[in-house]
Amino acid sequence: MRLEAHELRSGHGGVPVLHGVSFCVGGGEIVALVGRNGAGKTTLVKTVVGLLRATGGQLLLDGEQITRHPPSRRIRAGLRAAFQERPLFSQLSVADNLRLSGHPVPEHVLAVFGDSLAGRSAQRAGTLSGGEQKMLAAASALASTASILLMDEPTEGLQPSNVEVLGDRLDAARNSGRGILLVEQHLALATRLADRFIVLSKGEIVDSGSAGERDLADRLSRHLAI
Amino acid sequence: MDALTLELLNGLSTFATLGVVALGLGIVFGLMGIINLAHGEFVMIGAYVSYVVHANGFSHWLSVPLAAVVLFVLGGAIELTLIRRIHRQPEVTILATFGLSVCLRQVAELVFTKDFRGVPNPVPGATRAFGVLFPTYRYVLIGIAVAVVVATLLAFTKSRFGLTVRAIVADRDLAEASGIRTGIANLCAFGIGAATAGIAGALVAPLGAIEPQAGLAYLPGAFLVVIVGGFNKLWGVVVGALIVAGVQTGVIHFYDAVWAQIASLGLAVAVLQFRRVSVEGASA
Ligand SMILES: Nc1ncnc2c1ncn2[C@@H]1O[C@H](COP(=O)(O)OP(=O)(O)O)[C@@H](O)[C@H]1O
Ligand SMILES: [Mg+2]
Repeated sequence: MRLEAHELRSGHGGVPVLHGVSFCVGGGEIVALVGRNGAGKTTLVKTVVGLLRATGGQLLLDGEQITRHPPSRRIRAGLRAAFQERPLFSQLSVADNLRLSGHPVPEHVLAVFGDSLAGRSAQRAGTLSGGEQKMLAAASALASTASILLMDEPTEGLQPSNVEVLGDRLDAARNSGRGILLVEQHLALATRLADRFIVLSKGEIVDSGSAGERDLADRLSRHLAI
Repeated sequence: MDALTLELLNGLSTFATLGVVALGLGIVFGLMGIINLAHGEFVMIGAYVSYVVHANGFSHWLSVPLAAVVLFVLGGAIELTLIRRIHRQPEVTILATFGLSVCLRQVAELVFTKDFRGVPNPVPGATRAFGVLFPTYRYVLIGIAVAVVVATLLAFTKSRFGLTVRAIVADRDLAEASGIRTGIANLCAFGIGAATAGIAGALVAPLGAIEPQAGLAYLPGAFLVVIVGGFNKLWGVVVGALIVAGVQTGVIHFYDAVWAQIASLGLAVAVLQFRRVSVEGASA
């Protein structure tokens, strides 16, 4: 499956944030989306899922227009996102969150990150630590049947060992033919995983490249001003 | 002793009626946060469904499911055309649903006139139990009301649909991004709220006069039950109905109906005050 965005525009409450963004994510590849805070990465993810309305441009899934589809229809078509902020229903239990993610493998999902979540399915998701919530959201997105995953800074707040586990899971998902748009601030993980990079700055794509390019690391560091 | 038993049965009957009337408001206001001032009119329309069923020579028992269906459709239509456009703005919702309640009363008046209508008691007579005579229909009413409340509670706590509604209430955006069709789910939830009010109307129809203003009497009690029982948890309606019915029956027993109203209002004020303290305490 292939996600394409052409000249995508959107914003918050009439204030434009994305000024015509074009990119694509195909099956079996990880595309890293990097950019400074406020560049518009989260806005991009929310526009692709349909929580924000595109004010211009087009979104295509396998060549089919989804620009005007409601989120539920995009999810059924094969998209799935794990959000950066409020990734879970904090008032609902861990078990209910898993039921809502719509696949009958809760124990397997809980086991993804070792036993830290085992036996806690009756607990309210909001009482998990921030890192645990992100783990659970990432795990349940990975456990879904979606072909294209949008992961918005999934490693934010995770302990290093779990960053490694998540990296392996994303790698495995890519190898099984899924396409992943990975928003990631940690260049180490992004360069380890990604097949391609796109750099967003002030709502525009200012650079892009493939993993093999030799000066890529320098360029990325410069764009992120590290 | 017998007097006390009778009071308890009266209280139980008040509890059952309050419970079904408030159940729908518990869904619409308690869970979904929609201040629906036309809830009493849904009860009134349910009673008129019962009247129409009787006037056409059918059994009263047909009117209970029929009222549920009619009010589900009406509630769904109101959600689709009105509520979903305004529910994020409480002031607008109050005004619009107040206007809706006036409209529904006017329509009832146009169709049925202001005359008092009635339906005969389908099970006249009284049953002797626990040493006292108590109207048989009230026993039936209590039974059906409890069944409706329990079924609705189970539907909202145990089923996939109930989980869906709770997810939408908790985080609408995340619910949409989880693939939930929030539009249809909201329509169904509002429709079910209206349907239970319709059932309440059909159930109480044989007990009193049916007229266009009849719904007004139910609104304050229903809001009181939801406020006392607490939001977010639908079973709070049961607790709220129990407390309100207990207070009302007790005060009516020892004083009179006017004091019962005053006591109910006092209860609402006290509960809201207590809630504020507990909220402040939690954040401190
Ligand atoms: N809910 C919102 N309402 C108004 N503006 C917002 C909102 N969310 C983000 N923005 C603005 O949109 C811009 C892009 O934000 P965001 O997409 O979250 O950036 P990133 O994820 O790249 O850090 C920022 O300038 C931010 O202030
Ligand atoms: Mg972001």
